[in-house]
Amino acid sequence: MSAVMEAERPAAAPAGEAFVRLKDVESYYGESYIVQGVTFDVKEGEIVALLGRNGAGKTSTLKTIARAHEPHLTAGEIWLGDQAVHKMRDWQAARAGIQLVPEDRRIIGGLTVEENLILAQTAEPVGWPVDRIYQLFPRLGERRRQEATTMSGGEQQMLAVGRALARDIKLLLLDEPYEGLAPTIVEEIEKAMFEIKGLGITTIIVEQNAVAALRIADSAVILDMGSVAYRGTAKEVLDNEELRNEYLAI
Amino acid sequence: MEFNAFFLNFLTGLQLGAIYALIALGLTLIFGTLGVVNFAHGALYMIAAYAAVLISRSMGFTYAIFIVPALLFLVGLLMERGLIRWFYDRPHTDQILVTFGLAIVIEEALKWIFGANNIPFALPSWGSGQVLFYGLGATVPEAIPGLRIPMPGIEGFTFFPFWRLLLIGVSAIVVLGLFVLLQFTRFGLVVRAGMRDPQMVSHLGINVTQKFAIVFGLAAAIAGVAGVFGGPVTQVSPTVGLAYLVPSFLVVVIGGMGSLLGALVAAVLLGMASAFTTGFAALAVDPFMKGFLTALQQIVVYLVAVVVLLVRPRGLFGKKGVFE
Ligand SMILES: Nc1ncnc2c1ncn2[C@@H]1O[C@H](COP(=O)(O)OP(=O)(O)O)[C@@H](O)[C@H]1O
Ligand SMILES: [Mg+2]
Repeated sequence: MSAVMEAERPAAAPAGEAFVRLKDVESYYGESYIVQGVTFDVKEGEIVALLGRNGAGKTSTLKTIARAHEPHLTAGEIWLGDQAVHKMRDWQAARAGIQLVPEDRRIIGGLTVEENLILAQTAEPVGWPVDRIYQLFPRLGERRRQEATTMSGGEQQMLAVGRALARDIKLLLLDEPYEGLAPTIVEEIEKAMFEIKGLGITTIIVEQNAVAALRIADSAVILDMGSVAYRGTAKEVLDNEELRNEYLAI
Repeated sequence: MEFNAFFLNFLTGLQLGAIYALIALGLTLIFGTLGVVNFAHGALYMIAAYAAVLISRSMGFTYAIFIVPALLFLVGLLMERGLIRWFYDRPHTDQILVTFGLAIVIEEALKWIFGANNIPFALPSWGSGQVLFYGLGATVPEAIPGLRIPMPGIEGFTFFPFWRLLLIGVSAIVVLGLFVLLQFTRFGLVVRAGMRDPQMVSHLGINVTQKFAIVFGLAAAIAGVAGVFGGPVTQVSPTVGLAYLVPSFLVVVIGGMGSLLGALVAAVLLGMASAFTTGFAALAVDPFMKGFLTALQQIVVYLVAVVVLLVRPRGLFGKKGVFE
């Protein structure tokens, strides 16, 4: 264990009451033990950057919170307010207000842009009406009748974010929303992110580009080998060069 | 082959295709959603046919039209919730064993209750008789009763059983209804999306498993419609389930596993192949040719399957990697 880790160890939750609480969360892909006892809290309205090297378990942690089929939760607790998410199925977690925007976007093929949005409004609780989503992303409105998977990567990412907003979100889980996108598109999506931040939606954002993530985030969690290596404010991470070298390679 | 014979063989092909399609649509719908090949689907058809006989004897055929599909919907739901759902995470071989085993249990149960022979399925009074097709300028004697349809190209006039024509019509209505349901309703949107990416659809708060159970019920209900209208044509005996499962399964494979359009096209293709081989066999004069065609009649559907799958292993409209 590094000196850095020892020194920074008191992984204290930020002040204020926790809204999302992960307690010793463990999950598996089949026999592989991946999320190895993750514990951290998130306040209501807080935006947390979930950082760490490739393979640290960021995606797996988000999927576990959303109660995806894989990786399956085997131990620990996940709380959303007073709701026990660890006892829910994937669709129940979604109805409780947890919305995953996966890293591969998972726009549904064979459906138009608008059908993808309407699909998201099938189960309660419903969020933004379609027209408001088109106001945020005019390109989606222009392409509403187009088969969604024929759009560019950036447009699909807009749809993935728009689809999340079509639901009434209590906790937004964003997995690498800027990944593989041209800088102009990143700008456009980042603008939407700040608009979402203005709405006060509690968010966990995973991003390879830690600097970009920390621009919008209030605080950071750094994962390493499937567990929490550091918990602190965004500024602390940006200022701590050793920490960045050790876990983020920036 | 003259046009009259061609036309009648064509209708026979459509009628065969209609039954194949009704069973195969259910099979491919279940595979496309739940990923299970339901080898008990022929048995569902058989249950429907027996139920239709019993209900039409006691209450009248009209009741059977409404009760049997509803009953089969429940049977399907029960089968999926009670048995098949426990096998989703198991290997394909286990799924085949359990559905095939179920088919055998149902077959033996029916044999035990109703005996091994055909039980007669009388057509309702309004459903018997022939439809007369007549060509342009043909004179049809006034005395011939029944429906008359003009058909350019026919020489004089010719007949086709009304019931078989009805079967084609019913099948077309079911196909159209299924298309509308899947393409233009919220339920259909969820099912189509769920076929593509059940995990993401679940992340949108939709209980996909429950929707797919309804799809299973729906597939069984379609087999129910097939049993009511097809029963009088295919006969009602404990072996008819398997007899129609095999070509219907071939239809699904030829059309491409999980493809509804593929099932439809392949059903008509196999129906035509079968009807025309029989038609040519009946016409053949040369004894060798007649013997050959008569033998071919038994295997022509397999032959078509072999040829299609050699050329295109994923089936006509199948997706790459699903079944290749
Ligand atoms: N579907 C899977 N099956 C087995 N192992 C997986 C699967 N997905 C990811 N992993 C493993 O889990 C670990 C964490 O992966 P992931 O959560 O994707 O990391 P990150 O998002 O931080 O890059 C990695 O070692 C990866 O190889
Ligand atoms: Mg990842």
